Amino acid sequence: MSGEAVVFWIFATLTVASAAVVVLSRTLIYSAFSLLVTFFGVAGLYVLLGADFLAATQLLIYVGGILVLLLFGVMLTHKIYDLDLRSETTQLLSGLIVAAGLFVVLTAVALKAEWPSVERAPAPTTAGIGRLFLSDYLLPFEAASVLLLVALMGAAMIVRRRRDA
Amino acid sequence: MIGLQHYLVVSAALFALGVLGLLTRRNAVHVLMSIELILNAANVNLVAFSRYAGGGLGGQVFAVFVIVVAAAEVAVGLAIVLTLYRLRRTPNLDDADILKG
Amino acid sequence: MDELTRSLAWFRPEIALVAGLLLVVIVDSIGGAWRGPVMRLLTVGALGAALAFAFELQAAGAKGMLFSGMTVIDPLSAAFKLVLVAAGLLTVLAFSFRNSRELHGLGQGELFALVLALVLSCLLLAASNDIVMLYLALEMVSITSYVMVAYLKGDRMSNEASLKYVLFGAASTGTMLYGFSLLYGLAGTTSMPGIQEYLAGGIPDANRFAVYAVTLLLLAGFGFKIAAVPFHFWCPDVYQGAPTPVTALLSVLPKAAGLAIALRFFYGTLSVPAANAWDLSGSIDWTTLLMLVSVLTMTLGNVAALTQTNMKRLLAYSSIAHAGYLLMGIVALSENGARGLLIYLAAYLVMNLGAFLVVTLVHLHDGSFDLRDYPGLYRRAPLLTLAMAFFLLSLVGIPPFVGFLGKFYVFAAVIEQGMGIYATIGALNAAVAAYYYFKILKVMTIDPGNEDKPALKLAFADQAWLAAFALANLVPLLFWDRIESWARGALVLYAGR
Repeated sequence: MSGEAVVFWIFATLTVASAAVVVLSRTLIYSAFSLLVTFFGVAGLYVLLGADFLAATQLLIYVGGILVLLLFGVMLTHKIYDLDLRSETTQLLSGLIVAAGLFVVLTAVALKAEWPSVERAPAPTTAGIGRLFLSDYLLPFEAASVLLLVALMGAAMIVRRRRDA
Repeated sequence: MIGLQHYLVVSAALFALGVLGLLTRRNAVHVLMSIELILNAANVNLVAFSRYAGGGLGGQVFAVFVIVVAAAEVAVGLAIVLTLYRLRRTPNLDDADILKG
Repeated sequence: MDELTRSLAWFRPEIALVAGLLLVVIVDSIGGAWRGPVMRLLTVGALGAALAFAFELQAAGAKGMLFSGMTVIDPLSAAFKLVLVAAGLLTVLAFSFRNSRELHGLGQGELFALVLALVLSCLLLAASNDIVMLYLALEMVSITSYVMVAYLKGDRMSNEASLKYVLFGAASTGTMLYGFSLLYGLAGTTSMPGIQEYLAGGIPDANRFAVYAVTLLLLAGFGFKIAAVPFHFWCPDVYQGAPTPVTALLSVLPKAAGLAIALRFFYGTLSVPAANAWDLSGSIDWTTLLMLVSVLTMTLGNVAALTQTNMKRLLAYSSIAHAGYLLMGIVALSENGARGLLIYLAAYLVMNLGAFLVVTLVHLHDGSFDLRDYPGLYRRAPLLTLAMAFFLLSLVGIPPFVGFLGKFYVFAAVIEQGMGIYATIGALNAAVAAYYYFKILKVMTIDPGNEDKPALKLAFADQAWLAAFALANLVPLLFWDRIESWARGALVLYAGR
């Protein structure tokens, strides 16, 4: 097996296994930390795919931002002294059947379809992505700023304690 | 040789696991985590296609926007969960049952 | 740079809304007792300017792509933008912090900013020409809606409703995103015209399965936005839990924007034109799928509404049913189908906003959303009851009300395509729906009760708006030919390169 294959299998197994822990674990804190491993695994896959900018963004935002936020959420929604952060499961069997069905269908799609195969040689992507943001994808780029404004205002407004308007 | 299809199967597994979490978990934060798995699955697809299937960098740009959206969604979602907890002392969805029918 | 200036010239409605949004945020943070009226003025001004620009856009009849193919300008999108901005403007004018008991005492600035952001996102969504823009705009609409539903911070119902909305919405759009990622892989591009070229060029048999799977995944996102079965579960709870003005807004704006982009996507990207631009046939057989969704949606919506006593939930199920009828416009896959969708949406706007205004006013004076508290309103508030009668009859689809116009066009489009059974099911559903609409009317007029309650003293502004909406439901039929020509002028869908 080539070096690339070994690294791929390591990251792939890491990602999928930790995702399984996220979903199946009874304790919320274990799920949160497994999610951390999943995000790292995905970042590793991005590096393998030559997406250097995206791997860095994944780590910065997903691990550094979103995961920290989720951890806060986990911690703040339980009594501080109660470390038994359990989470209940319902209807595991029917969920498993649906999920397994989806996996089979999507794998069939992945394996059966003829994907156009034009392999790009890996190259640094940051400059290219930056250029695209300011040319072709300018409108979504600017619209995203409105989205972030709304989310910021909205989240702050929702959590703020009621004050006399 | 590692090819496109390897990555697609990994993302299919992530997607399926995310859906599993969505359907079986009662804690709202847990459901949010499952949704993040689904979004990451789609992102892996996008980046893999960008590399192997001639999409240029468009797939990666799309993936960056998905990350942005995910961040906004989690922020708003957690704000709401926190308020739920403040009002009801539980983050469990089943206990959010005033609205019925 | 030239592309940018050229595009900005056609982007005036959106620019007006962004300017309004920023000004409202700035005014709100400056503070001062005069904020409230100023922000309201800014919001109304921005929406009014956007409306004027949208009129101008449609009159100009331009066709083309803007911002490097991210968004499109054509008469059809201009017409939808007109409907969307009008919906936002009418809601802001008719509903206020004064006549909604739920909003009393809450901070105003955020809601105005959110309304502007919602209308802006809906405009971006309705004219998207690239799946990146589509996804981003869809999420913008969704996230703004989540925040608006959670507006009543201290209220458990509002909180629960927004939580269900967020989780359901994020899951649905996440699924749709997975579908888009596969579509991107198949077509090699994120631009919708590019995807259409790929699909029109003949899908190899090995890929047909993939394209079907993709369509199903995409349906999760579209279905969620327009509250179609089986992605409608959030709808009753959210409509009930949100403050009623927000419900009124949500019943029209995201639904209309979702339908506009669904029309554009299914007609433009998933279809192939033959002899002329409107002689379309699907690249895959999605019409059967959508027909099934439409039938399930109208049936479930109508059946569930029969037993509801909470007015907001009842109107939620009624909205779901109307989404089923609106889908008929898309299933028809013809010029008349698009026309039917446009006219029905415009009609739906005035019917639904009117009904929600009545519900809000009754809640303001009586404090109840329960239909069982509605008897005697005929005596206590005759103008309100009369207006409600107009709205209900319009919702049933009886001439001479504008609801009839909407139903007429979509049914005609469907029958023209030879889908007789489909049209019959639609007609049966309309008959079933008539039962609960008439039931409301009966409760308000004939049922005994509440004799001891005093008459409702409605503010002049409220009376004026009730009258305006009531007339808007009745008068358009006199201008049928004008409406027809407006819609005809709008029927240019630019799906090309």
